Amino acid sequence: MNKVIAVLKREYLEVVRKKSFIIMTVLGPFLMAALMLLPMLLVTRGLEEKHVVVVDGTGQLAAVFSGANGEAKEASPEELSLKDASKLNERNQMAKALALRTEYVAASGDPRAAAQPYLDRMLGKQGKVKLDGVLVVGGDAFSNPDAELTYFSRAATDFVTQERLGGMVNRAVSRGRLAAKGIAADEADQILRRLKVEAIKLTRTGEEKRGGELGFLVAFVFVALLMIPNIIYGQEVMRGIVAEKSERVMEILISSMPSMSLLSGKILGLAAVGLTQVGIWMAMGSLLVIYAGTGLAMSGFDPTQFLSVGIIPAFFVFYVLGYLIYVCVYAVGGAISNSEKEAQQFMGPLIMVMMIPWFLAMPIISNPESTLATAISLIPVFTPITMFMRIVVSEPPFWQVLLSVGLSVATIVAMLWATAKIFRVGILSYGKRPTAVELWRWLKVA
Amino acid sequence: MPNDALLKVEKVTKTFGPVRAVDDLSFEVRAGTITGLLGRNGAGKTTTLRMINGIFLPDTGSIELLGAREVAAVRDRVGYLPEERGLYRKMKVLEHLLFLAAIKGQPPVRARQQAEKWLERFELADKRAAKVEELSKGNQQKVQIIGALLHAPELIILDEPLSGLDPVNVVLVRGILQELRAAGKTVLLSTHMMGEAEKTVDDIVLIHLGRAVLAGGLDEVRAAYGTDTVHLAFEGDGSFLPTLPGVTRARLDTNAAELELQAGASTQALLSAAMGRLRILRFEVAAPSLEQIFIEKVGGDTLGEPAASSEEVRQ
Repeated sequence: MNKVIAVLKREYLEVVRKKSFIIMTVLGPFLMAALMLLPMLLVTRGLEEKHVVVVDGTGQLAAVFSGANGEAKEASPEELSLKDASKLNERNQMAKALALRTEYVAASGDPRAAAQPYLDRMLGKQGKVKLDGVLVVGGDAFSNPDAELTYFSRAATDFVTQERLGGMVNRAVSRGRLAAKGIAADEADQILRRLKVEAIKLTRTGEEKRGGELGFLVAFVFVALLMIPNIIYGQEVMRGIVAEKSERVMEILISSMPSMSLLSGKILGLAAVGLTQVGIWMAMGSLLVIYAGTGLAMSGFDPTQFLSVGIIPAFFVFYVLGYLIYVCVYAVGGAISNSEKEAQQFMGPLIMVMMIPWFLAMPIISNPESTLATAISLIPVFTPITMFMRIVVSEPPFWQVLLSVGLSVATIVAMLWATAKIFRVGILSYGKRPTAVELWRWLKVA
Repeated sequence: MPNDALLKVEKVTKTFGPVRAVDDLSFEVRAGTITGLLGRNGAGKTTTLRMINGIFLPDTGSIELLGAREVAAVRDRVGYLPEERGLYRKMKVLEHLLFLAAIKGQPPVRARQQAEKWLERFELADKRAAKVEELSKGNQQKVQIIGALLHAPELIILDEPLSGLDPVNVVLVRGILQELRAAGKTVLLSTHMMGEAEKTVDDIVLIHLGRAVLAGGLDEVRAAYGTDTVHLAFEGDGSFLPTLPGVTRARLDTNAAELELQAGASTQALLSAAMGRLRILRFEVAAPSLEQIFIEKVGGDTLGEPAASSEEVRQ
């Protein structure tokens, strides 16, 4: 046991003292936050202001896009009086976030023909100001129930702008259609007001939790926290074993202790490294929550709304289980390879398999109680990560959680046993990498 | 003591694919001696030492170590210096030694005392805080040797302990080996340098192509297999010297001769025969060198690379 601790301590200190560990630990959360927030910001904000021409075949939408000055105007002064201030505020916020500059053209004849010069301009055939899109509103928009809007742009994927313009036209058209039926503008607005959907998660203890979309995001963050260290430290274990083999430190180690002790020490040492790192990250997160807590509370954001306290112990349990499973796989890769490059090649396909829970995170998180999620969360190798995903977003039956832990422990014991054997023989088989048949023989013999 | 063999290797064979690295090898190491495992590169020395240390399992045969059939039971009482050096390059010297002591089951306080003592003895005290990779090759070698001695093992197994050391360090290490023997420790070392072995060991096991071709005390082996060489300096006509009884080969100069004698031939008879006819200035009997015995024993067989080619012929 003392020998296991000696190896554990050595491995732990070696990694923790590395500059890369310190940098990763301090900068990791910022990097992760940046990775997740940046695309969101870019999508909502756009890289720059969008410049769009609206060609209106009906000639009645001028009020909606009263546009020479550019700022899209969604509420005319007379409508404003009917609306509550908060709604207005919300719109202004949106308008600012999605800087949209519209140019309104009333087309009397064929709107498609009237749009042609703008389309040419968009394609750069005529210079002047850059155009990002052209929205064509058919002349029959008010009368024909099947009328369509056409949005031309150079990238059909700019769905944010597209949805937004469409929404503005639709609201005006609906209002116009209602007005045609003799309904007054203020009544029309009441009729058209959409109802908000509030997602509430009901737990078995009767608690109610809000914040559906945020819960989704939190689940992803936690799963990433669970997976990333596994892969980083799994690689570390593998690299360490390959290095020890090539430097032949292994001969000393193997002649001093049973291979099971050696392997346990190495794996536990690096598990401690991972826990240290994740622990530091969580501490940083809690500090942030405490500091920002007051501010958040004032804006009505309550972290306990989507994060139950029970997640923290579950995280540590499943972190350790998942970690041990991943690392055993990496240790075998290291033990049977003679160079890091060879080990990477060998591990490539295996890691794709090990990553399956990550690839399936989307369907599992959105349908945590589905048959697929339940099945994957009870497959030995995938169980720790998948079960944890389910715990974050819902409340899987307790027997399933217990079964998952049991399966994980059994898998780890079996893999440790097999790994130790392969490790014991593989470590000293300098030269060519063993074939599958040889591996099987080692399992039986060693 | 009824049986003072600390290590018994019995009919051990180890095959790697088509190559029989160790072939029906048997030998013993007596307690309190320094035994040299001698042989050319590829003779099977390292494989044998690895099997003794439980790194390889023998295909057939058995190894008894400190009275145990399983190396695992006595591994903390054995010190091992592998042939290809293995140290963590990024670790500091003292830290590394403490780690090596810990995996041999030493309590930290005692390990530290021992490490300091040995660093002093190996003239490395000023390097204790240096990283292993900052040391010269010779110094790394010395750190590794300390690693094999640190836990005060009863049996010390050293694979080519002197390779890579400069002459000053060779003398230092040889002195330490003598001290260990004086303290009752048993040492098994391998080397391909016969001249070195001669100055260091009590017993030898000479292996060739995985088999023991010669074993025993250095002196017995010399007596049994060697032929003495007589170095002679004289005044007078020495032309009769090659014809004297017992002389198998002679090199004659004007005032000196080198005579190789038959095994068992009397040097005293030679001296009196020579004294009758010459004025003897110097008469010296040189024991045969291990090198000579070795060449005589394995002969022309040793030309070229012995391992692979001749092994395959034998299959």
